[in-house]
Amino acid sequence: MILVQDFEYKPGEHEAEKASGSYLMSLVALVGGLPFPIINLFATLGFFMANRKGTHFVRWHCTQALLSQFSLLFINSFGFWWTISIIFSSEQITNNYIAYIITIIIFNLTEFVATIYTAIKTGKGQHVSWWLYGDVTNLICKP
Amino acid sequence: MEKVIIRLVLIVAFFFATYTALKEVDWLTLFNVEHLTSKSEEKLGELFWEYYSQNEHEIKDTIITIPIDSILATICKANNINKDNLKLHVISSDEINAFALPNKHLIINLGLLKAVENQDELCGVICHELAHIEKNHVSQKLIKEIGLSILISNTIGNSSPEIINNAVMLLSSTAYDRKHEKEADLQAIDYMLNANVDPAPFASFLRNSFGSDYQFSEHLSWISTHPDANDRADYIFANIENSTRSFNKILAAVTWDNLKLRIVKE
Repeated sequence: MILVQDFEYKPGEHEAEKASGSYLMSLVALVGGLPFPIINLFATLGFFMANRKGTHFVRWHCTQALLSQFSLLFINSFGFWWTISIIFSSEQITNNYIAYIITIIIFNLTEFVATIYTAIKTGKGQHVSWWLYGDVTNLICKP
Repeated sequence: MEKVIIRLVLIVAFFFATYTALKEVDWLTLFNVEHLTSKSEEKLGELFWEYYSQNEHEIKDTIITIPIDSILATICKANNINKDNLKLHVISSDEINAFALPNKHLIINLGLLKAVENQDELCGVICHELAHIEKNHVSQKLIKEIGLSILISNTIGNSSPEIINNAVMLLSSTAYDRKHEKEADLQAIDYMLNANVDPAPFASFLRNSFGSDYQFSEHLSWISTHPDANDRADYIFANIENSTRSFNKILAAVTWDNLKLRIVKE
C-alpha cells in the first residue's frame, strides 16, 4: 500500500523538511478541522499553493498530500451533512448511519496513520509513494 | 493511466464493500441506541387515545362511521396498506380537524365532515393523515418535540398526565414540519390516484378554505396549523395537471347524502 522508493535525485535536508510539512499540515488541519471536513482541504491546498514553485520533491509530496485530503473530503462531507440532518431535522439514527460513520472512521484512521508514517519518512529524505495516490501524483506532477 | 483507473475502481469498491458489510450489523441494538419500538408505540397509542377519549365523545352511529370506514378500506386496498391495524375514530367536535395518534389511530372530527363539500375532499384529508401514519411521521414528530427518553418512560409505567396532554395537543393542534407535510400531500395524491379518486377537489378544499371566511375561524385547525394552504394547493395541482383519466366515487351518492344529512343532525 505504501512504498518507500528512490526519488530521481537525493533531496536536500531543507526539501525533505518542506515535503514532510505538507503531510504535517494535513494532520494538524485534520485535528483542528474534524467537524468541518473542508478545513483540511483548504489547509493542504494553502500549503500546496505556497510550494507550487518549489523543487520537484516538495511539489510531488504536496500534491500527494492534497489528493489524499481531496478524496476524504467527499466521504467526510457526506457524513457531516448526514449528522447535521440527524441533529437538526427529523432524520433518525439508523444502522446505515452508524455503519457509514464507522466506515469513514476506518478510512480516516488509515489515512491518519499513513500520513504520520509518510511525514516521518519524507522528513528523513525518503520518497514514499502511496497506492493509487502516488500513481495519480506521478501523472500530475512532472519534473 | 489504466493502472490508475483500476486502482481507483478498486478503492471505491473497497469503500462500498466495507460500508455494505457494516450495514448488516444491528448497531442500534449493539450500542443500545434507544429508538421507539413498535411495542412502545403501541403502548403510547393506547395511552394517548385513552386520555383523549376521556374528554371527547366518540360517534358510534353507523350511518356516519361505516361510509368513512368504507372510504378508508378502499384507499387501503388500492395501496396495499393493512387496514386491520388502523383504528378509525369519529369525534363529535366542531373543530375542522383530522389527525393521527401513535399506533395508527386516525381521528376525524365531525367539524371536518361538515366542512367538506364532497367525498373526494374528505378522501384527500384521510389520505394525507394516512400518509403521515404510513411514513412514520407521528413517532418522528413526538421524538423530536418531546424526546425519546420521556416517551419511553411513559410506556414503562412512569406516565405523566401533563406529558400525555402535551403530546396529544402537539399531535392534534400543530402541523408536522414543512418537509413532512409536503411528503404527506404528495403521498396522498398517489393514494388517491391508486384508488381512482380525483385529487383536484382536495387541492380546491385547501385553497377555498384558506381563502374563505373559514380562514380566521377558531375551528379551522387542520388548515390554519398547516403550511400555506395556497402553496399546498399549487403543488397538488402541479402534480395532477397532466392527468386526464376518469375517476370514480368510492361511496354511492345516496350513502354520501345520508351521511351529510346525519351529520347535520348531530
